Amino acid sequence: MNHSLNRETDWRARAVVAVLAVIAVALGVRLVQLQWFERLAFSDRANRQRTFVESVAARPGDIVDRNGRLLATTISVRSLYANPAQIVDAAKFASDVAPLLKLDADRLAERLKQNRKKQFLWVKRRLTEKQTAKIRALEMPGEIWGFRREFLRRYPQGELAGHILGLRSIDGEGRGGVEQKLDDVLRGRNGERVLIRDARGRVIDVETESDRPAEHGRTVVLSLDAIIQLYTERELDRVMEEWRPSSACAIVVDPVTGDVLAMASRPAFDPNNPVNVLPAAWKNTAIASMYEPGSTFKPFVVAWAVDRGIITRDESFNCERGAYRMGRRILHDHHPYGQLSVTDIIVKSSNIGMAKIGERMTNRSLYEAAVTFGFGRRTGTELPGELSGLVRRLSKWDRYSTGSIPMGQELAVTPLQLITAHAALANGGKLLSPRLVLGDMEAMEEFGRRPSPMAASQVVTQTVGAEAAAWVVSGPMRGVVDRGTGKKAQLPEFTVFGKSGTAQKHDPATGKYSTKRHVCSFVCGAPADNPRALVLVLVDEPTVGTSHYGGTVAAPAASRILQKTLLHLRVPAGPPEPRTASGR
Amino acid sequence: MYFRFGSALVLVVLISLAGIALEKRNLDLRRSVTRQRFRRDVLHDTHIRMRLETQRLGAPAQTIDALESGELHVEPHGKPMLKRGARKPRAR
Repeated sequence: MNHSLNRETDWRARAVVAVLAVIAVALGVRLVQLQWFERLAFSDRANRQRTFVESVAARPGDIVDRNGRLLATTISVRSLYANPAQIVDAAKFASDVAPLLKLDADRLAERLKQNRKKQFLWVKRRLTEKQTAKIRALEMPGEIWGFRREFLRRYPQGELAGHILGLRSIDGEGRGGVEQKLDDVLRGRNGERVLIRDARGRVIDVETESDRPAEHGRTVVLSLDAIIQLYTERELDRVMEEWRPSSACAIVVDPVTGDVLAMASRPAFDPNNPVNVLPAAWKNTAIASMYEPGSTFKPFVVAWAVDRGIITRDESFNCERGAYRMGRRILHDHHPYGQLSVTDIIVKSSNIGMAKIGERMTNRSLYEAAVTFGFGRRTGTELPGELSGLVRRLSKWDRYSTGSIPMGQELAVTPLQLITAHAALANGGKLLSPRLVLGDMEAMEEFGRRPSPMAASQVVTQTVGAEAAAWVVSGPMRGVVDRGTGKKAQLPEFTVFGKSGTAQKHDPATGKYSTKRHVCSFVCGAPADNPRALVLVLVDEPTVGTSHYGGTVAAPAASRILQKTLLHLRVPAGPPEPRTASGR
Repeated sequence: MYFRFGSALVLVVLISLAGIALEKRNLDLRRSVTRQRFRRDVLHDTHIRMRLETQRLGAPAQTIDALESGELHVEPHGKPMLKRGARKPRAR
């Protein structure tokens, strides 16, 4: 009996030992599996659960004018998100939140229901301070909502220079203007921060060793002067009100440096509030529209012909009493003229006189003049969307061109090209590419407020000799303002030179030049002996009144901009010098 | 033997306490650095907002009419204002 009991106990003990041994071996195997074979995978998983890499957004850089006035900056604001998976009553959440954010409650509730499995849903981005405070005051449970910090671009000068600045999309990408062109400089580089979280996902520490700080965007300095820009935009608004054109633009440049001091187009938009904007308002007319320059092209032809010795300054041409046959075509002047000097051909803007100069020059020389003054190619300014204008190949020019080109027809230019070429005349014949960006602030401080290496290098071309250029400016172009088509641009305190342009637009219905649709332009500068500023005003299709000439529509605005610019630049005022024979 | 054991135990406890104190101090300092960073960010944001507001209020569009009508007067950049009666320094 005892014997059999002992045997039974032995068997049970062995069984227990065996089971325990199996369990021990299994645990050992599992331990080896966990600690040896799957160690890296589990370690990675643990790290992922414990740490969280947060992106630190770089703050986009500021844009300032040449005097440091702020044109664009970035502020930090809060955006509201919801956690639909944790929201029990979507309708209540929506009815609480929507009225504070001016949202449609039903639509918000619908969105929450549609995304109820998600843990993140934007409710509204970039809230105002008041909206943020109101949302906080609701004291909703923390797991169903939250704020995220985002950057918001602001333009403290409002509409001012909107076309040049461009804007930033809701995702912080530059759209148009300097914002787009210099996006890589302005945007900066996002950083990273490693956060340590506990089991519930709360942040308990920041791993400073692996921090990569954000590199904020740099501050870009433009050549614009906000005050001159304001004068220019106000005058354009006045022109728009008075003449009701389809569009208008104005540019102010310093002819010596090529700096663009102001550039404005109408219609315009407010980059702070880019909603309900007319499609035409997005267009920067100053660089993205092409027109036939009309009579504003004449000074280049004369300067070229005088410089190359094709004509002489004291020569005169018979203007055929207002009608001149060129092949099958009869050219007309606005008024019949007889014998006119070269100066008077410009002053009176005689098409026949210019056609005769064109005949003397031949097409090749006219083509060379157009190309040398920069027409038919981009000026190289730092703005996206610039057009190159249109100068057809010389092989396509014919006898018709010989009469048309000298009076600014058969070629198309952008307003910026036109003023850049006139700046060359005012700068002793040196053509400079216009400069809109002076550099970035930090580099400029290093370089003693001079344009930093970031500024686009300026291309300098000698178009005509300094003597011919100075003569055209102080002789014929000054005469235009003194006694010609630009009398409305006279200023009592400065010697102004200029040239008006009235170009007929092509009428697609008839295939001919329209007699009703015009592009009126006026370019002027002062002082004539040492030009400090040059202004171009271009008005496309004025509709009010009948006298649609550059000298009546654009000249008054151009001269007011010029006057205010010169006073702002503290150019010493002096009475106009009496004209001399050499100035004719 | 008991004395040696007790001394070793006390030593270990003291080292542990010192370690804990150092760790707490370390955490305090890190918290302080984080707080200061946060404050710096808040101040930076405030500075940007105030600068924006200053520039908005002093924008040429707001002041140009007053300047032109003579209500406001601005001295040119970079030239220190001389007190009435003070002589201009001689150029060397």
